[in-house]
Amino acid sequence: MTKTLMNRIVLTAALAIAYVGVPLLLGGNAYVLGLIVAALTIAGVAVAWALLGNLGGMVSFGHAAFFGVGSYTSAVLAMKLGVPVFAAMLLGGVGAAVSSIAMLPALRLRGPYFALAILAYAHIFQILATEMTAVTGGAGGLLSIPRFPTLLGFEFGEKLGGYLIVLTIVVLAAFAYDAIRRSTWGLALKAMHDTEVATRVVGVPSTHLKAAMLVLSAFITGVVGAFNAHFISFLDPDYAFSSGWTVLPIAAAIFGGYRTVWGPVVGALAIYLVDQLLFKPILPHGHQMILGVLLCAMILFSPGGLMPALRRRPVKENRHAHA
Amino acid sequence: MTRTIAKFATVSALALSVALGAGAAQAKEFLLGSELPLTGSLARVGQGMHEGIAVAIEMANKSYAGKHSFKVQTIDDETSPAKGVAAVEKLAGDGVVAITGGYGSNIIGPASEAAQKAGLVYITSGGVSPELTQRGYPTFFRINNTDGYALAMIGLIQEMGAKKVSIVYLNKDATSSLAKQVNTALTGKSITVGMHEFDGSTSDFKPLMNKVKLQDRPDVIAMVGYENDYVGILRAAKVLKPQVKAVVGVWSLATAQMAKEFPDLMENVYGTSMLPYPVEFTQPEAVEFAATYKKLFNKDPDYLGQFGYVQTRLLIDAVVRADEAGTLGKGGLPEELRKTDANTLIGRVTFDKNGDNLNFTHRMGQHQGGKVVLVWPSDAANGKMNFPAVPW
Repeated sequence: MTKTLMNRIVLTAALAIAYVGVPLLLGGNAYVLGLIVAALTIAGVAVAWALLGNLGGMVSFGHAAFFGVGSYTSAVLAMKLGVPVFAAMLLGGVGAAVSSIAMLPALRLRGPYFALAILAYAHIFQILATEMTAVTGGAGGLLSIPRFPTLLGFEFGEKLGGYLIVLTIVVLAAFAYDAIRRSTWGLALKAMHDTEVATRVVGVPSTHLKAAMLVLSAFITGVVGAFNAHFISFLDPDYAFSSGWTVLPIAAAIFGGYRTVWGPVVGALAIYLVDQLLFKPILPHGHQMILGVLLCAMILFSPGGLMPALRRRPVKENRHAHA
Repeated sequence: MTRTIAKFATVSALALSVALGAGAAQAKEFLLGSELPLTGSLARVGQGMHEGIAVAIEMANKSYAGKHSFKVQTIDDETSPAKGVAAVEKLAGDGVVAITGGYGSNIIGPASEAAQKAGLVYITSGGVSPELTQRGYPTFFRINNTDGYALAMIGLIQEMGAKKVSIVYLNKDATSSLAKQVNTALTGKSITVGMHEFDGSTSDFKPLMNKVKLQDRPDVIAMVGYENDYVGILRAAKVLKPQVKAVVGVWSLATAQMAKEFPDLMENVYGTSMLPYPVEFTQPEAVEFAATYKKLFNKDPDYLGQFGYVQTRLLIDAVVRADEAGTLGKGGLPEELRKTDANTLIGRVTFDKNGDNLNFTHRMGQHQGGKVVLVWPSDAANGKMNFPAVPW
């Protein structure tokens, strides 16, 4: 069996479990389903962050800005202009993508300078959300944001509906990430990583490609932010632009393996669910500490993350078998 | 004869054990849920409320001993709205009869919505945003609100006879709505008011204080923020020494902790407080509350503990009433809680149709020589206010 075929079988099985198994097994458990939704929300941002980092070669500390802009755009459109929630959610992504255009000048910067610049942008957007009181409700934020509607008798505003929506967003984002990685754009971006000057010499528009990755990453993060706004039904600037929306996805992507497509998703599910379901009941007031230690151990012993570590193991076993 | 006595004794012992067994079967154990920030930025205030809840459980177990017993299952929401929702859902799944707790309107909003969906009563004293009760959820109750804090601040400033007031306030929901309410009320009483908003990240208040000193020249500086903001404002005022007669704040200011940690900044400053410090209680319930608090935590209670205690005790009494009426398992608890009319440690509590306690009025305390003396209203005062007087 080829590696590609094996990967496809594993992916199909995972998707079948996610779309059929989880609803059947956990559909009645609002608590666990709620935690999975929260983990997938982080996973969505983690995929977008990894896409920018892995394909665009840019380390962002400001994804909270896209999350916040997406959530506010969608919430305001649905609350004040009566835009249907699903359409508002997509427009939330568009809003975040548009906001990323303001960050394009930062593409000239590299490494830590780009990371710091994008962090500053995030703070600017948070201040704007606080000051534009007439639109955003100011520091008080927005309460009772419209929830997802009931379509064809299925309540998307309930836990299970929310789960299916965020799962679909994450799956589509990962597929988009994979498709770009396999395309000629992906090849150009990969070459750009090795030497940007050389790729420019052969005619690769590196700045345009990086800009496209930034806009796409912002769009995905914005859609996830918009989903969260309608799912939680509440927003304020501190929450929407919280640094947690940057730090947790980065930790998840690194834990799972940010150079793989599904690593950020696996990482987000692992760190959030293990922390909340396993560590928190054992150590209610210090469970984050265990998570920190686990993350450090992962970086030390498997810098590539969880996914590459899982893939390595069968190879080792085969070697022993041959020996 | 001996055999007859032995038989009689055996039958009596059996009858007694059956009777005791029947009694034990009637006694019920009620599990309450508590969702609170015990870590994160609201950990200190969450811990304060948590202690009050523990005191309420201890005292209820004592007063209902032999009839009922109460337990509380607490989940830390980590100062996060999403985890607040998850905590409520977990508690609902674990079969709690109601939820007491919550701090911060931004967390209480979604958490109480989850409780409403689960059909659980959610009672709190940690969120004063008007929007919380405007939603009209039948399961949502709170024992305090912005109006009570505003009334206390307005009442004290009026009693001082101030003509000009500068309101320095944090741009958060609860703080800005309180500042605006005080502004409207004072302006309506022909008092000149200057409004000065600041951001949560402000650490140097000297430019703002300079504006107050040179532009407003007020009689009173009114601060609406949280502990760190008060400390920053008072430090700046101590450097610039504006010619004012009093400095007044609201929550988290007239506390034992502030008196101990910042004695040089707090002297003569006013803040809302239900209790003097050192605590002086005369009511039997209050004396027992203070003694139980001391026993459990080896310290004097503060206002957070007092609020946590009151909300939980009212909930427990309503649970018992609903159980006796046979409506507890049939969704009758909200209705029973709405019938509450009690004189508590924070004054009279009744709930309107939105679950708000419209009787709530705070008291004002003043830091005097390391103590907090209640100075307003006069019927609750245990000392006289130092006026005019400032910390510098």
